[in-house]
Amino acid sequence: MRRTILSTTAAIAATGLALTGCGGSEEADAGGEGGGGEGGGEISIITVDPSNPYWSAEIDTAETVAEEMGYSTDTSAHGNDPDEQTRLMETAINNDVDGILLDPAGADESVAIVQKAVDAGIPVSLVNAEIAETGLAEAQIVSNNAQGATVGAEAWAEAMEYEGTYVELLGKPSDNNAQVRSDGYEGVLSQYPDLEKVGEEIANWDRQEGQEKMEQLLSRYPDIDGVVAGNDEMALGAINALEQEGALDDVEVLGFDGNDDAAQAVAEGDMAATVLQPITEGTTQAMEVLDEVIRTGESPLEDEKVALDCVLITEENADQLQGFSLEQ
Amino acid sequence: MSPAEETGAEPSTPAATTAESAPTADRAGEVVLRAVDISKTYGVTRALKGVNFDVRAGEVTVLFGENGAGKSTLMKILSGVEQPTAGHLELDGERVELASTSQAVARGISIIHQELNLNANLTVRDNIFLGREILGARGIDYRRQAEITRELMDRLEEPVSPETLVQDLRVGQQQIVEIARALSTDARILIMDEPTSALSTSEVHVLFGIIRELTRQGVAIVYISHHLEEAIEIADHAVVFRDGELVAAEEAEHIDLPWVVHTMVGRDADYDFRDRERRHGDVALSVQDVTVADPSTGKIPVDHVSVDVREGEIVCLFGLMGAGRTELMEALAGRDELAGGRVTLDGTDLAGRGIGDRIAQGMGLVPEDRQRDGIVQMQSVGRNMALASLRTWVRGFFLGKRAEFSSVARTISDIGVKTEGPDAPIMSLSGGNQQKAVIGKMLLTAPRVVLLDEPTRGVDVGAKGEIFSLLFDEADRGLGVLFVTSDVGEALTASHRIVVMSRGQVVCELDPRETGRDEVLAAAEGTVPEHARTSATAGTSGPAGDPESTSRTSSTSTTNGASS
Amino acid sequence: MSSTTAQQAAAETQRGSRFSFSLGSVLVEARALVALAIIIVIFAALNDNYLAVSNLTTIAKDVSFNAIIALGMLMVILNAGIDLSVGSTVGLTGAVAGNLFRGVDLPLTEAVMFPATWVIVLISIAVGMLVGLVNGLLISRLNLAPFIVTLGMLYVGRGLTQVLLGGTNITNELRGQEGLGNTGFFEIFASRPLGVPIAAWVMIAVAVVFSLLLTRTPFGRWLYSTGSNERAAELSGVPIKRVKTRIYVLTGMCAGMVGILQIANIRSSTADLGEFYELNAIAAVVIGGAALSGGRGTVRGTIIGAFVIGFLSNGLVIVGVSPFWQTVITGAVIILAVAVDQIQQIVQRRRAQARAVAEARRVSEQAERDRDSEGKEAAGV
Repeated sequence: MRRTILSTTAAIAATGLALTGCGGSEEADAGGEGGGGEGGGEISIITVDPSNPYWSAEIDTAETVAEEMGYSTDTSAHGNDPDEQTRLMETAINNDVDGILLDPAGADESVAIVQKAVDAGIPVSLVNAEIAETGLAEAQIVSNNAQGATVGAEAWAEAMEYEGTYVELLGKPSDNNAQVRSDGYEGVLSQYPDLEKVGEEIANWDRQEGQEKMEQLLSRYPDIDGVVAGNDEMALGAINALEQEGALDDVEVLGFDGNDDAAQAVAEGDMAATVLQPITEGTTQAMEVLDEVIRTGESPLEDEKVALDCVLITEENADQLQGFSLEQ
Repeated sequence: MSPAEETGAEPSTPAATTAESAPTADRAGEVVLRAVDISKTYGVTRALKGVNFDVRAGEVTVLFGENGAGKSTLMKILSGVEQPTAGHLELDGERVELASTSQAVARGISIIHQELNLNANLTVRDNIFLGREILGARGIDYRRQAEITRELMDRLEEPVSPETLVQDLRVGQQQIVEIARALSTDARILIMDEPTSALSTSEVHVLFGIIRELTRQGVAIVYISHHLEEAIEIADHAVVFRDGELVAAEEAEHIDLPWVVHTMVGRDADYDFRDRERRHGDVALSVQDVTVADPSTGKIPVDHVSVDVREGEIVCLFGLMGAGRTELMEALAGRDELAGGRVTLDGTDLAGRGIGDRIAQGMGLVPEDRQRDGIVQMQSVGRNMALASLRTWVRGFFLGKRAEFSSVARTISDIGVKTEGPDAPIMSLSGGNQQKAVIGKMLLTAPRVVLLDEPTRGVDVGAKGEIFSLLFDEADRGLGVLFVTSDVGEALTASHRIVVMSRGQVVCELDPRETGRDEVLAAAEGTVPEHARTSATAGTSGPAGDPESTSRTSSTSTTNGASS
Repeated sequence: MSSTTAQQAAAETQRGSRFSFSLGSVLVEARALVALAIIIVIFAALNDNYLAVSNLTTIAKDVSFNAIIALGMLMVILNAGIDLSVGSTVGLTGAVAGNLFRGVDLPLTEAVMFPATWVIVLISIAVGMLVGLVNGLLISRLNLAPFIVTLGMLYVGRGLTQVLLGGTNITNELRGQEGLGNTGFFEIFASRPLGVPIAAWVMIAVAVVFSLLLTRTPFGRWLYSTGSNERAAELSGVPIKRVKTRIYVLTGMCAGMVGILQIANIRSSTADLGEFYELNAIAAVVIGGAALSGGRGTVRGTIIGAFVIGFLSNGLVIVGVSPFWQTVITGAVIILAVAVDQIQQIVQRRRAQARAVAEARRVSEQAERDRDSEGKEAAGV
């Protein structure tokens, strides 16, 4: 079990929550003093990978919000391994924590262990990814990957002026989001007959692999016009490869996630666009639901499934993006 | 291969029923297994040369022979471990091919190896039935196995529980388990290779009782032992091997120790350096009160041994297996730490110096087990020989290849290593030439003293003479030599002085020019000949000196002295 | 007299030496070369861009990272060891370098120290060597199994990397600032002198140095001999513990250099940099003809092995093989390359055995003839 050591962007993440107009049903600013008396239990935060900036932001937000509510937290990461997730969940159940905030490892694989926690009387709030069962978790708050892919692809297609050849860098095949995003891109881009996808490679969400694959794709298609990538890291790797070949000015790159490096790349014009996943907002909401259930036994949500819309990041708003939050 | 297949093909009758199903005793004396013109060649070494050999039901056939005479090779062929290069085996008059040990076992031939072949982490029961598990309706029938194991161990008068882990047994008990395993296969022919080397005297008597019982039941026993008296005691029939040939076969009533020794050694070795002129200088290596302890067993293999080696002197350290010779040599070479005593080379105390330092100082070891400790199998002759003295050829950062090459090539020709050249693989050489290469490796370090542990083990007779001749030549140039042997002939003909060790202690020193074979052997068993020059340390140890009692006495006396 | 024969022997062996040496090593490396040739021919036929200069540059760079690690790995494999921690060490050195670019808070003062670029590079590589030293000391002094020690270090190194990066990437800071005196990192470590990526130059340098080390120094001989028979080497005075410790320091150094080169290459220090590098490196070493049981392997073979992997993975992308199948094919090629070697060895052993049997038969027949003629002589007398 890993306790994460994080400091950098926690404060910003917590204060930058006033993100509006994103289909959230709850007012975000609820980290207040109201429930302080009833709080003060322990919440287990089980997430994916603290070394990745995206999940790092998720953890920061979750810890900050929970601590403001008066809870102590215990953070661990399963690295998308369902077995590890089971172990971590069982530890939390055995410790009889008051609530669990889980970023699940796989929609089907996670059902049983969430069931187990619920059976043990521990409320579970899911963030960032769903499970294939309703009625178990108190909340399943995800960002709308399909919507995000759609707005991203639209912006990128515009930058491409609706014509040219492009390649796609795919995320980890075992991650559902890789396919959802790819399908989202495809749904938009197939409408433009002059945009032709000539190749695709798996780069496992990784910057170095993205760079390596892009270099190889450039050997095959020296005159490529565009790159769509399943996340920012792969897109940044592709940008490195293009820069080395001196081809960056002629190629439009699309990322996804909205991490700080990507924000900078967009601001500097290296990346055409990226899509911000409102992970800080989603995490805050999931934590609030958990808090409410722990205190009152009632969930504030009518429907446990909440899909938060993603925000398009282009040159215009890129400089306001930091720590997965848009500053006003 | 599944155990079911094996046991199914030839159901091994559990030993409990041996009495009923055993071959009938009236076949005693009948030839059950015959080796016809068996030859075996390893590379260029001819381990067996056309051997004809009979094994008879109900008799104990003892094989005598020195190391490398071919006994072990023949045993491996009889038990299916190896196949002959030429010749064949006949079982009950029928020609058979034993392609594997399991085939041999299926035909009733079992072998108890010299090295224990037990799995220490398994129980006695599991070891006995390993590979031949008795299958019941629900997998392995452990209860039945345990029952048979218990009966076997009772019969061997070593009533350990079948569930005991082998690693918890004494070595002697493990040997008994090994014997039980062989018995459990209901063997008609049982080969025992040095079965008593780890047994105590009383355990040996039990074993001999069992052997007698087995022969009464018609089992044929083939028995090998370096312990000549023991082997003579149990023999019905003796055969003697020498240099891969069977040189004599005799019934028990005609054999005695001198005959066995004489036939084993054969024509006295064609070398004899006794009368060679000797020029001894100052003491080069001085070993004083060296004690070596084995922390894993708590034993003291070397107990206050003192011996000096002078420049140009060849000292033979004679002793039987387990006398502590190898332990002493490895301690001198720097592999093990001393529990006590002092080793000096040319007056320099070697305490705290590693193997490399000692070689640089002028003393290195030619180890006993050439394959395990002597040669680097993957490399060439030249590389092997250069290994210990690479530093001497370094020029700047790099090895001076030309200097290395000429040194190695010169040594190869000086000591007569028969090889195609320094770049020939070491494994392409015969045992004797490999040994010369290992000795050459040490000579290349320009040593003051060379330690050799059984330098002629696995070396054919011709090469033995060459090796000693080489050592005597070097001695003439001032090299001190300390070599270990368990071969009396070698000790007598190829040394200036014999130091006899027994049970970790020096018993006496003998002059090879005035000593006979029997005296050396007797000394190694603990009986000091009258004219022996008693050594400095062990002079007080009595005849048949039991080291434990001696050391006990001495320690009590010191305690007394201290308390009074 | 003896000196002339010695000279003759020396001359003969020297002649024999050159011949048998090259023949032996060629046999070992042959299959890697053949595999490389086949791969190049196939992909070149399928796609024109495969052998284009720009693609060869790409391959050279990707191969270099793996090859540098693999050369370090070769050292430990020659010793019958293994180092699973190199990938984590790559990540760790990258993270250390990143943090140094970000500035070090000096304790007890308000000041933040920004080391110069070359200092950063040296410190980072030294950290890699330190990791190797810890591995080496644990393995040689405590007699622990290399597999276990370095597996543990794989986790420790990755964990420390995550601690150092704290869930962020270090990207902008790597550029350095003129005022802080830590600029020039990318200009050197992502450069292409004479059109060849810097990583390839480093690979060549490491290959030359290691090759000299293995073939021309006592250390190399010691390494080969300990890998083949450690006990024999020990009794020959080889300082086996020191040899063991040093090779792990060398692998750590290689990993450290790759860590530096790689963060310059991707222009960022990320927490999962170097994951699975150890496996690629082991594959390259093994394809290059080394034995995992130690004592056998060459620098040349390892470089070829790394190129086999590099040309293959690049070719699969260039030709447009489905990404899912690429992984399958890469694995199959590794197995095939090693299997061919084993089969070749089995065939050789069989032939040698047959020769020995024939020789033995000839000798025994000769002996029989001798005996017959002796018998006749005796009868004649």
